[in-house]
Amino acid sequence: MLSPFPQAWRSEAHRGRWLHGIALGALMVGWLAASPAARAGDATAGADVFKSECAECHTVKEGRNKKGPSLFGIVGRQSGSIADYSYSDALKQANWVWTADKLHWYLSQPAKQANPGTKMKYDGLTDAKQLDDLLSYLSSVH
Amino acid sequence: MFSPLIRSVRRWARPAHLGWAVAALLMLASTSVQAIPAYARQTGSACADCHAGSYGPQLTPYGMRFKLNGYTDTDGKGFKVPVSGQLKETYTNPATGKSSTDLSEGDLYLAGRLTDQVGGFVKIEADRTGHDTYNTRLSNVDLRFVAKELKLGGKDLTLGVSVNNSPGFQDPIAALPNASFISPVGVTGTFLSLAAPNAPTDRVIGTTVYALYDKNWYGEAGTYRSLPTSTQDHFGYNIASDPGKLHDTGYFRFAYMKDMKTQFFSAGVVALTTDRSLPRSGPSDKLTDLGYDLTYQYLGNREHILQLSYVNILEQRHYGADLFGPGGVVAPDRGDVRDQTLTATYTFHQTYSLAVSHMLSTGTRDSVRYPPFGDPDATSNMITLFWAPFGKDDSYTTIANLKLAATWYRITRFNGRETNIFGAPPGAQPTRAGDLNAFSLSASVAF
Repeated sequence: MLSPFPQAWRSEAHRGRWLHGIALGALMVGWLAASPAARAGDATAGADVFKSECAECHTVKEGRNKKGPSLFGIVGRQSGSIADYSYSDALKQANWVWTADKLHWYLSQPAKQANPGTKMKYDGLTDAKQLDDLLSYLSSVH
Repeated sequence: MFSPLIRSVRRWARPAHLGWAVAALLMLASTSVQAIPAYARQTGSACADCHAGSYGPQLTPYGMRFKLNGYTDTDGKGFKVPVSGQLKETYTNPATGKSSTDLSEGDLYLAGRLTDQVGGFVKIEADRTGHDTYNTRLSNVDLRFVAKELKLGGKDLTLGVSVNNSPGFQDPIAALPNASFISPVGVTGTFLSLAAPNAPTDRVIGTTVYALYDKNWYGEAGTYRSLPTSTQDHFGYNIASDPGKLHDTGYFRFAYMKDMKTQFFSAGVVALTTDRSLPRSGPSDKLTDLGYDLTYQYLGNREHILQLSYVNILEQRHYGADLFGPGGVVAPDRGDVRDQTLTATYTFHQTYSLAVSHMLSTGTRDSVRYPPFGDPDATSNMITLFWAPFGKDDSYTTIANLKLAATWYRITRFNGRETNIFGAPPGAQPTRAGDLNAFSLSASVAF
């Protein structure tokens, strides 16, 4: 009978190590799936998502604000922290850090639902892959 | 002995038509509204956010929203001076006649927000009319009051009022003739056309109320009246092209528009009805315009943008005066006119654009009103290739721009004919439709 594994792997000792490896791998996959890094998509595709979803109101140029603040270095930034941008009171009071998780949560729903009172007009991005790609792109802009 | 009306009609039989038609074609290019740097300064946006080709006039869905919001959107950094300017140098080469190179146009724009609910657009245009002489006129006006971020039945609602001077100029989709600045050239045209003789464009004043419901449904209704001829004169217009006295004028617009970020489409209907006395002391004609328009945009990641639009406007006319032609021929008391425009624009990198328009002007046969053949049909094309290097987020400047354009105007049918379009008698030099063609090169700067 053909086997994909070397003869030695079929020994009890080796079978034990093999099962242990599978369990460890499964744990790693689970951890990755739950972490922001697992959602990291294609940054190049994310640049296109940024152009169609965000670029009318935001740039990724440092220090350049449009209707919305610059998104340069947004991942890891304290909310409402660009000094020369006029934030809504709602976002000033939010007092959160734009982690990848926070951005994923924020962008996957209407902005006014995530932060009632915000002046951001955005209906949310429901396409999971596009959102992952976008977050990957934003993570690369710093 | 002819009545003034008949003399007016007979004027169209003269070859003066040739100059008028060329002038009308050139007007289509010269009157177009461009990206306004004052808006870019106000919003922090780049020209390319609102205009596919970075210099206008074709609007992106974002540009439509800016217009719907009464030109009031801002980056929140205080008051910005709502003033811009534009200069345009043009080389014109008509198929017949002399070529010329001139500083053809200088514009002053008063454009921007006054408050969070009040904004506007006013263009004051100086056009070269002769050797170092310019005619200054009040061009497009659109002043708005808008109430934003309202809710109706849990859905978004925007309500606004526009005071404007060209029916259709205020339209957000910007496919109608007075907003797209694309309109068929011919001996006649609908009241919504800007290229028709005695068009209301810039010579009327009106108020419309509009609403945008649930981001997709647009409705508008309003009325217009023509400016007194003395006011038209003060505003820089030749009163010979007076649109006439208007009564009981109604403007109605309804459209569905859908912005899908990478694509956009719209379908709309428009109606305009008026009783027009032209000349003002004469009887009135009943004009009813009924039209529809379809548009589509592929925006993608903004590298390759395709914009398509089709506009079809039928005008039903019920003439108020009996009109007699040579030999006592009685003109019909009713007639139809139809304007159709199909435009395709491809834009690469929001910098290089090619726009092609096919335009048809057709109407009911009328030997008295449309001499010499009684056929008003005309077919024309406008092809524009342009380069606008700035006005994008990654440009040298986002708030000023340059545009180099080459434009071909092509007429293949006029007065229903391709050759001898003015019915020159044997032995006289006939005029071909192609003799009305023209080519122009222009350089424009906006700041």
